[in-house]
Amino acid sequence: MALIPIQMPQLGESIAEAVIVEIDIEVGQQVSADQEIFQVETNKAIMGVTPPTEGQIHKIEVLADQSYPVGATLGWLEISEENAEKLGVSDTPQDSTGSQPDETKPTDAAQIPLPVTPAPSTAATATDAEQPLTVQPTVEGLPVPATTTGATYLSPRMKARMDELGLHAADLSGIAGSGAAGRVTIEDFERFIAEIDKKHRTAASPMRIAVADSMRRSWTRPLATVGSPVRLDTLLDHRKTSLPKPGPTLYIIRALAIALAENTAVAGRLVGKEIVHPDAIDIGFAVEVDDGVMVPVMRDVDKKPLSELVEEYSALVEQARQRRVPSDNQKKGPGIATVTNFGVFGIVWATPIPLPEQNLVLGLGRGIKWPVWNEEQEKFLPATEAVMTLSFDHRILDGGAAGRLLSRISDLLQEPAAL
Amino acid sequence: MSITYLEAIQAAQDRALAQNESVYIYGQDVGSFGGAFKATKNLAAKYPGRVIDAPISEDAMVGSAIGATAEGMRPVLEMQFADFSTVAINQICNQAATQFWRTGVPCPITVRLPSGGTEGGGPFHSQSMEAIYAQYPGLIVLTPATVEDAYSMLLEAIAIDDPVVFCEHKYLYYHLKADQLPSKNLPVGKARIARAGKHATVVTYSAMVHEALRAAEALEEEGWQIEIVDLRSVKPIDTDTVLASVARTGRLLCVSEAFPWGGVNAEVIARVTAEGFHLLDAPPKRLNAKDTPIPFHPDLWKTHRPASQSIAASLRELLRY
Amino acid sequence: MAEADIKDTNPESRDSASKYQTAFRYMLLARIFEERAASLYRAGKIMGGVFMGKGQEAFSVGLGLALDHHRGDVYGPLIRDQAGRLAFGEPLIDAARTYLGSVEGPMRARDGNVHRGNIAMGLIPMISHLGSHISVVSGRLIGKRFTGQTGAIGGVCIGDGGTSTGAFHEALNQAAVEKLPLIIAVADNQFAYSTPTSRQFACKDLVDKAIGYGIEGHSIDATDLSLCLDTFEQAATRARDGQGPQLIIGHLLRLCGHGEHDDACYISAEKKQQAFGGDCLDLARQQLIEQDWASLTDIEQWTAKIQEEVEQATSSAQREPGPDPFQESWQALSTQRLAEGHTRA
Repeated sequence: MALIPIQMPQLGESIAEAVIVEIDIEVGQQVSADQEIFQVETNKAIMGVTPPTEGQIHKIEVLADQSYPVGATLGWLEISEENAEKLGVSDTPQDSTGSQPDETKPTDAAQIPLPVTPAPSTAATATDAEQPLTVQPTVEGLPVPATTTGATYLSPRMKARMDELGLHAADLSGIAGSGAAGRVTIEDFERFIAEIDKKHRTAASPMRIAVADSMRRSWTRPLATVGSPVRLDTLLDHRKTSLPKPGPTLYIIRALAIALAENTAVAGRLVGKEIVHPDAIDIGFAVEVDDGVMVPVMRDVDKKPLSELVEEYSALVEQARQRRVPSDNQKKGPGIATVTNFGVFGIVWATPIPLPEQNLVLGLGRGIKWPVWNEEQEKFLPATEAVMTLSFDHRILDGGAAGRLLSRISDLLQEPAAL
Repeated sequence: MSITYLEAIQAAQDRALAQNESVYIYGQDVGSFGGAFKATKNLAAKYPGRVIDAPISEDAMVGSAIGATAEGMRPVLEMQFADFSTVAINQICNQAATQFWRTGVPCPITVRLPSGGTEGGGPFHSQSMEAIYAQYPGLIVLTPATVEDAYSMLLEAIAIDDPVVFCEHKYLYYHLKADQLPSKNLPVGKARIARAGKHATVVTYSAMVHEALRAAEALEEEGWQIEIVDLRSVKPIDTDTVLASVARTGRLLCVSEAFPWGGVNAEVIARVTAEGFHLLDAPPKRLNAKDTPIPFHPDLWKTHRPASQSIAASLRELLRY
Repeated sequence: MAEADIKDTNPESRDSASKYQTAFRYMLLARIFEERAASLYRAGKIMGGVFMGKGQEAFSVGLGLALDHHRGDVYGPLIRDQAGRLAFGEPLIDAARTYLGSVEGPMRARDGNVHRGNIAMGLIPMISHLGSHISVVSGRLIGKRFTGQTGAIGGVCIGDGGTSTGAFHEALNQAAVEKLPLIIAVADNQFAYSTPTSRQFACKDLVDKAIGYGIEGHSIDATDLSLCLDTFEQAATRARDGQGPQLIIGHLLRLCGHGEHDDACYISAEKKQQAFGGDCLDLARQQLIEQDWASLTDIEQWTAKIQEEVEQATSSAQREPGPDPFQESWQALSTQRLAEGHTRA
């Protein structure tokens, strides 16, 4: 007979520890290879732990409701020599003396059960598990994390030099690091700076720098984009009959405002473990200017019908183009979402980046007239469609919710008179 | 002419005795025998009554030296081995080190500690005590690495009005030679750049300076230029010179023959991280003797203390970061 | 202190009467000052501790008077030597200032209570490690030998507990080897803090140690002021004459706690009735009266004067400024350029 440890399995990437929620066995119990003997919970799922082979439970090393690192010994299994040979562990110590297995084994930190949370005061499960030892670190290896290629990890000196030169990590994306785990060393950095010094350089405009700063801050989040076609015919018809004529962007702004008023959470921001809800449905819209973009904001768009918005919108567009948006327009912040009509550049599809303060940017592609199959008439009929995109912070919205929001906006746009 | 580190120490004491009537030497076997290592060779005959054998009473040796300073004397004490100075630690750290602060009256004693390991020295004839003394306010602790420093710093130690613990390395006694004694030298409290380089800084002192220099030579063949700072004095530490070197290289390795817990290496690293964090491109490293007593057998001893090979290995690791 | 009339007409007897009287008044001053210090301690005016010499004044004053700092003599007192310090010449105000934390005191409030001294005067500022001051006094005598200051002697005091230290042994052996003119006064007051002598040493009398060191030894009843004065005077003469170290064991009983924080519950009442259990001050007072060296009225007058002197010293020290942490140099080295002013952390 041989004794082998039952170990906490690797429960998925980045999982370092798991809580034992159930102990389904007793000492002396015969277990089969695929039998779930412990239930463990990570912050992703509950899983069953199975023994490496069939055998008899010799000892249980753990307590329920406590956390143990991956690789920890949860218990000991007595197995036949035959199975031991199959597992390549036939040289494990014999239990003929009845001594504690962990005393006869060579010391191996990973083999000692190390509860990560303090022992519960109610030792609920009356196992013969010994009281936990002290917590030991579960992270080992290089001082630089293995996935820090390039300038994602900055030494204190790198940080100080970059602050001195006004550089950001994103500026160094072109440097392949030569340090540990591919990190950029100060020598790599100084070489790069010396190279840059040799090249033709011009000063970036304040507008360019402002956009760059805004986009860089926004890019710290996991952003995603979804898109779906929207029929524009009714909207365009409505526009023809209206006076003054609202721009297509304004219809989108109004429709988005109505949809968001129905559920403000989708425009919320995640801070820590809380969703911060918007306090007013203020919508910005992108206007291209020289070497950048301006985003004037329309306030409380959910409370004003389209007809009332036209004049304000047109004035803001004009002011933005001349880069003369009144300063009080931005006073209350950039709003909760932005609409961008990239279709005016002939673009049919894009993945715009929301402003760093916002969760959502709604984009509209170029309208295209093409044949659409009409079930009633059983023939193709001409229709004008454009792709509407929604870019969002994936921590707050998932594809489904984003799709539903797009769909709701699309529906609202089919009844422009009601906007 | 060639002069050893040990001869330089003898010569410094000779000169101090000749120049200043108030200097006397007190220690076990220092008289006509000339000292266990011959650091006071011929001095008893040359300066009758001023080079005195002491009983094996380290506490009383230091206590009496403290008293003698109040009468204008400048005693130089020889501990037969640095290890034995622990018997006198109370007089050094509590009596001598506190006197000026408590009373305003300086206490100019020099305590010579034949320090560090040699082959076969074993646990009680090999210790490096500098960190223990440096910990106490009121003491100056010197650790010369060269013949020139052994000479000029001992003379300066005797001239300094505060108690000085002079850690002279036994391994260097005979191994280290210079052509002549210096006529002038850097003052106590200033570190020396023992070798200029740009890829990493080694901060060290005493015998380890020479091990570090050998390691630097080995690394030069691999294309690395290592800068070596010889602290010379571990209290005070010339922090500015250390920071200036780290500013040049961005990488720091501290090497000491003393035990690893706390100590000069830890102090240098604490200062560099606190005051020069922005200069560091890699986590500072340190290399000490092992955390066991010092072994007797030469094969064990050579591995117990840092040596050029282990320093080179540490440097390679530091440079790979 | 005012001189009192001495009625004796015999010159020799007159000298001893005068000396006895002087010694008694130092003892009285020490006792009254320490009682005042104890009450200031209990009032929270003195921090750290108050250590009293109650019962040891005669032995202490004997050594203090045998030394003459004007001749270059050096004195290393310990914690129960207020009387000896006064006799040696330490101003009362130095004691008051050090106890009360005045910056005007010799230790500038950096060190307190009995840890005061005056190196220039030859008064060693003791550290707390027992026995370590003996070799310091020896060193001063060695230094004097080097510098040709002849005729000066040294005196140190230590308790029975202090004789158990390595430092005591090393220093006595060293002084013997160097044949130093050093008086080592050991106040065997029967307790080291709470530990009785039976747990401290196994020899019959500590004076037996003298033989081992090869020095002269004397063992006396330290409650007898006359005996103390004579013994120390003779020892001083022998030391000055080159007879080497003189070990004097004084037998007495500590009539107080180790410090004012200690109620001395371990000292039984019977102890005071046994040999050496008396109060040397009371015995000296009786002797003054019996020998007709002073009247009760004289003693009352001295007491009143001394009380006034003590009151003046303690109230003056209390009015003086304490230390200012912002004015403090925070430097432990005299060599400014080597001070690590660096502590920028």
